[in-house]
Amino acid sequence: MAIIEEPLALPEGTSTKVERPLGAYTRPRNPAGLVNWLTTVDHKKIGIMYGTAALFFLVIGGVAALLIRIQLAVPDSQFLSADAYNQIFTMHGTVMIFLVVMPVGAAFANYLLPLQVGARDVAFPRINAFSFWIFFFGGLMLNTSWFLGGGADGGWFNYAPNNGIAYSPTPGIDFWNIGLLIVGIGSLTGSVNLITTVLNMRAPGMSMMKVPVFTWMTLVTQFLLLLAIPVLTVAQVLLSTDRLFGANFFNVEQGADPLLWQHLFWIFGHPEVYLMILPAFGIVSEVIPTFARKPIFGYPFMVFSGIAIGFMGFGVWAHHMFVAGIGPLSVTAFTLATMFIAVPTGVKILNWLATLWGGRLTLNTPMLFAIALVTQFTIGGLSGVSHSLAAHDTQQTDTYYIVAHFHYVLFGGAFFGFVAGMYFWWPKAFGYKLNDKIGKVHFWTMVVGFNLTFGPQHILGLQGMPRRMHTYADAQGFNLWNAVSTFGSFILGIGTLMVLFNAAVSYRNWRAAARPDVGPDPWDSRSLEWSIQSPTPEHNFDVDPVVTQLDDFWHRKYQKDENGTLRQVHTGDEIAQPGNGEGVHLPAPSYWPIMLAFSIPILGYGLIFNLWLIVPAVILMLVALYGWALEPADDLDIDDHHDHDHELETV
Amino acid sequence: MTDVAALDNRPVANSYLATALDDHDDAHGGHRTSLGLSNMKLAMWLFLGSECLLFGALISTYLLSKARFVTEVVAGNPLVTSTMPAELIQEFAESQSVEPMYDIPFTSASSFILLMSSLTMVLAHKATVEDNGQNKIWLSATALLGSIFIAGQVYEFTAFYREGLTYTGNLFGSAFYTLTGFHGAHVTGGILMLLSLVYMAFRGKLRSDRAETVELVGLYWHFVDIVWVLIFTIVYLIP
Amino acid sequence: MGSRSDHSTVAVSRRRFGRPAVKAALVSTLVLILAACSDDKPLNTFEPRGPKAEAIDNLMMPIWYVMGVVFLAVVGGGIVLSIRNRVKDEDFDPNDLPEQIHGNTKVELTWTILPAVILAVIAIPVVNTIWFLEETNEPDELDVMVIGQQWWWEFRYDVDGDGFIIDANGDGEVNDDDWELPVQFILDPDDVATANEMVVPAGEQVDLVLTSRDVIHSFWIPRLNGKRDTVPGRWHTWSLEADNPGKYVGWCTEYCGLSHARMRMSVIALEPADYQAWFENQQQQAEVPTDEEALAGRTVFQNQCISCHVIDDGELEYPDDYASNVPLASRAAPNLTHFATRTTFAGSIFSVYEGEGTTAADDALEVSDYLQIPELAKTPETRDDYRLNTALLKQWVANAPGLKAMSSDVDPETGVGRGMLAFPQLTDEELDQVVAYLATLD
Repeated sequence: MAIIEEPLALPEGTSTKVERPLGAYTRPRNPAGLVNWLTTVDHKKIGIMYGTAALFFLVIGGVAALLIRIQLAVPDSQFLSADAYNQIFTMHGTVMIFLVVMPVGAAFANYLLPLQVGARDVAFPRINAFSFWIFFFGGLMLNTSWFLGGGADGGWFNYAPNNGIAYSPTPGIDFWNIGLLIVGIGSLTGSVNLITTVLNMRAPGMSMMKVPVFTWMTLVTQFLLLLAIPVLTVAQVLLSTDRLFGANFFNVEQGADPLLWQHLFWIFGHPEVYLMILPAFGIVSEVIPTFARKPIFGYPFMVFSGIAIGFMGFGVWAHHMFVAGIGPLSVTAFTLATMFIAVPTGVKILNWLATLWGGRLTLNTPMLFAIALVTQFTIGGLSGVSHSLAAHDTQQTDTYYIVAHFHYVLFGGAFFGFVAGMYFWWPKAFGYKLNDKIGKVHFWTMVVGFNLTFGPQHILGLQGMPRRMHTYADAQGFNLWNAVSTFGSFILGIGTLMVLFNAAVSYRNWRAAARPDVGPDPWDSRSLEWSIQSPTPEHNFDVDPVVTQLDDFWHRKYQKDENGTLRQVHTGDEIAQPGNGEGVHLPAPSYWPIMLAFSIPILGYGLIFNLWLIVPAVILMLVALYGWALEPADDLDIDDHHDHDHELETV
Repeated sequence: MTDVAALDNRPVANSYLATALDDHDDAHGGHRTSLGLSNMKLAMWLFLGSECLLFGALISTYLLSKARFVTEVVAGNPLVTSTMPAELIQEFAESQSVEPMYDIPFTSASSFILLMSSLTMVLAHKATVEDNGQNKIWLSATALLGSIFIAGQVYEFTAFYREGLTYTGNLFGSAFYTLTGFHGAHVTGGILMLLSLVYMAFRGKLRSDRAETVELVGLYWHFVDIVWVLIFTIVYLIP
Repeated sequence: MGSRSDHSTVAVSRRRFGRPAVKAALVSTLVLILAACSDDKPLNTFEPRGPKAEAIDNLMMPIWYVMGVVFLAVVGGGIVLSIRNRVKDEDFDPNDLPEQIHGNTKVELTWTILPAVILAVIAIPVVNTIWFLEETNEPDELDVMVIGQQWWWEFRYDVDGDGFIIDANGDGEVNDDDWELPVQFILDPDDVATANEMVVPAGEQVDLVLTSRDVIHSFWIPRLNGKRDTVPGRWHTWSLEADNPGKYVGWCTEYCGLSHARMRMSVIALEPADYQAWFENQQQQAEVPTDEEALAGRTVFQNQCISCHVIDDGELEYPDDYASNVPLASRAAPNLTHFATRTTFAGSIFSVYEGEGTTAADDALEVSDYLQIPELAKTPETRDDYRLNTALLKQWVANAPGLKAMSSDVDPETGVGRGMLAFPQLTDEELDQVVAYLATLD
């Protein structure tokens, strides 16, 4: 919040020289509709926008996935050309990782972190808006490559020198580079913002060991982003200078070593894998205790195993390079490091099971998806152990076994966790529950479709089918399981669409029933976000919640009676904050974040197509930067006082 | 909102309203932060942590590229040796390094100037805390010293270019200009921030209440200096 | 060829552990499915046919067991707990609380330390196998050079024992510096060069040295060993050994651009005597054909093909700086000197010969007639069963990009293309002549 304190108590009617930097310019004031969404700095709206944007990109990535599966349904298929297929699988991976899984994690983090630590917003609300918009514009820019010469065709890890201009002369990889550089800026500013929020804006009494597991896991995630993104940035800057300006970083004839790209990419790429899964781990760590009506088993172990995964995640990158020729000594070291990362991951899974042990389970949709994560991720984790052993990996890497593995981790793991979280927090964000019956159909469709799609890919990989093949021959014997996988993928596609279907039906029913109040605490939950009304009031908390223990909210509801038996002494509704925002002061919306974010992709198009475009981009950027720098975080015309000055946020 | 609470208009004993701290002063005065460190300062430290990885990756790239370049020169790769004047290549091959390229005394002098700017930055912060009106002098001095360093770098780049080291010619050129150029861009960004502060100082808006602003720019500036010490050692001093 | 070395000191034994019985006993449905369907799976990783692949397989089997147990425990545990502890909505009572267990340090330490110990035990054979896979016979004496390029494989065999490379930088000796230079400068032109089919003696460990001419590829013959990337600018070592004669197919496994899916290869293991016969034949220069049609084809070749392809008959003329001026990104196209001795072409996706006697590229393990095929194709009695795939070869020469996706149009910016050009200017008669010429190259 405020950095530079400047109390400015203005007596009524006194004319004071208020800084109004751009003269006639006025900032958005209590806007409604579209302008509200474009200029908002409210972490909850930004979280919802992250989720919506991710859903939009999910459709693109999902259509790409189905095209891939149609192409591979039969041998020697002519459905897609090799060129189209290569673009589609590259963009499928890129879009799903950078524009779906990461932003969904950001959506939950944005919406929930301030609520779970008892804060009114994130530390830097305008930077938060900027983080979203630059992610969104970067993602859009990346996807305009479909229409501007073709998408990237180097695979999502885009190995040098195949990513060079000589081997991929279309601008697709330039879009990939610059689009992801832009998205990366958003991740970086977002991580600084969220880390600061968690570390510095916790409610009174909430020490780090009283922070909910979701917040902890997201904190680790943001640290991974903070330290991993710059390495990707360097790799992409090197590649961009090679492709656009003729530098030689990956020019083998000049003596360059192509493995440099792999090292840089995977130093980023492996933490990336963990930062995609950890938020989902956090989500199920909230969902399972709530519906098992037990505290999470071994909270300190959950926290420290998350931290351990984060640390170890930076020390195992070369397991992606076991067959790249890094020498047996490195291979041995990275094999051992990778094997032992299974330990903290295993601890998490066993702790979830221990939380289920002896619990009173309510098997509703969020709980089902959470349990699905535990089991499906275990499959992905086990196949991960099998190729952490470098000798195995020489047979398994770059085959469909790997494709199956990371889909079990990212879809069966991260994505199922996200769906669990969506069902769980939906009433908090929108004021009504998603339909549980449709939810269960949704659940079974997805679990069946998912396992039919990716289960057979384990077999295909072990039977020797390499990944990234636009076709295969009849005689290679991959027909059956590819057909099964394609069949499953359509069930999975229907399952994924049921998210939208359920949201629409549930909303209609809720509206038809005259919008009944779902209450602040519909699930009898444990953390602070349930101690406020649903949907969350704009100001979050009427008063700073004082926290005395882990799961503070739950312990206010349940206490021991004179016999030492745990009883419900209050319902959540009774002790929740009433949502009276009087006297609460909120940061005002601003045009500058979206404007600054908009200028940067123009710069990117300039780099790719015509350097002159950089001129208007830089002008726009400077205007936005100075506008931002000179604009106080709060609207002086509305408020009788202001105590927030974000003058240096742009620095 | 709830019936019980509405009836007697008193918060339930366990509710958050009942246990809230009276933080009225807090809302107008100082802001409580969990770590006792301002958000902005924490954010700056986090950003600098991220920058460490950025420069770490760039320095690694430089080291690898230089080593590969020297290896190719020594091996006599005609595609590499044809990118630079023959006599320079000869010197590289004999010394098995790129050291003949450098003018160590010149770069040492400009490095010293940049280091001195850290001193003036500290003085600028001190002057702002003390509110003695001297901060404009020290901030200007810092920006000036930084600009001299940049001018030195521009001169050096020009000299290297004339000697035959181009950005696109070979691996060493690409790596050298990218690493030092990235650092130069960081210094330039710092100079822009300093100039903004100088402007504020001359308008009398940089008083002790904004000492933290100066401190934040100072943190960034010192970081950029430290990175240069590393780059200078690695690029210029270690053969 | 290097001799088979004694690996008795290596902890991972090459001995077969009664493998069919082991497999049948496996409880995992996954593995059962794999075993049941494996006959027509030429790339199956569960059917090792050489000591290296066997070492991997031996390591893999017990770990499938461990994984199976963990899988059943966790997934079964999750499902059983969910069902057993379920409370139906109508039975829900807020005061029916389970025991509030916050954790149990002993239990948690156990399931932290125990997996770590299990992994530490597993680590021992794992590390041993890593080093076993890296072993080559004699580090300096490599048997086959493997060069990947878009989208086919070149295999080079040293002739005369003077090594694979020449003194490219002219410093008077062949040394490490020469290995540092770009590959197009250093290859020894006297060596045997073949494409897509690596012929090796069965029962001997063959050491490989691998690189690439353009982008990264990966050399993988699943039945003989795991894979190893071929990285431009780097030389990697790897090895393989086939227990018995046979054809062992593989597929490029590192994404390498447009026709990655069309870049296959095979290892043909022959009896050592047959291998020697093959190797001696490969060292012969091609003969200038006497047949009129083939001779005309040779003229077409001289006019159209020699800017990329090589046929060494001692008379065809190539420019001095041939290797560095080929208008291909890879700077090389397959050496065709003994084209007719190969059974596949175009990255092993098409068969050179067709008919009853030959089988499709991927499903044959029998190679007993491998050396005789060119002869059988010419003998009137067997010609029907072994006939040159003339129509396909003609089509390929006329319009290769039409059969296999390639971006062979020469890039105006870089001056190079990737893959084989189309030759619309060749008449049908000329195509016949070229194919007739290719048929003589045995």
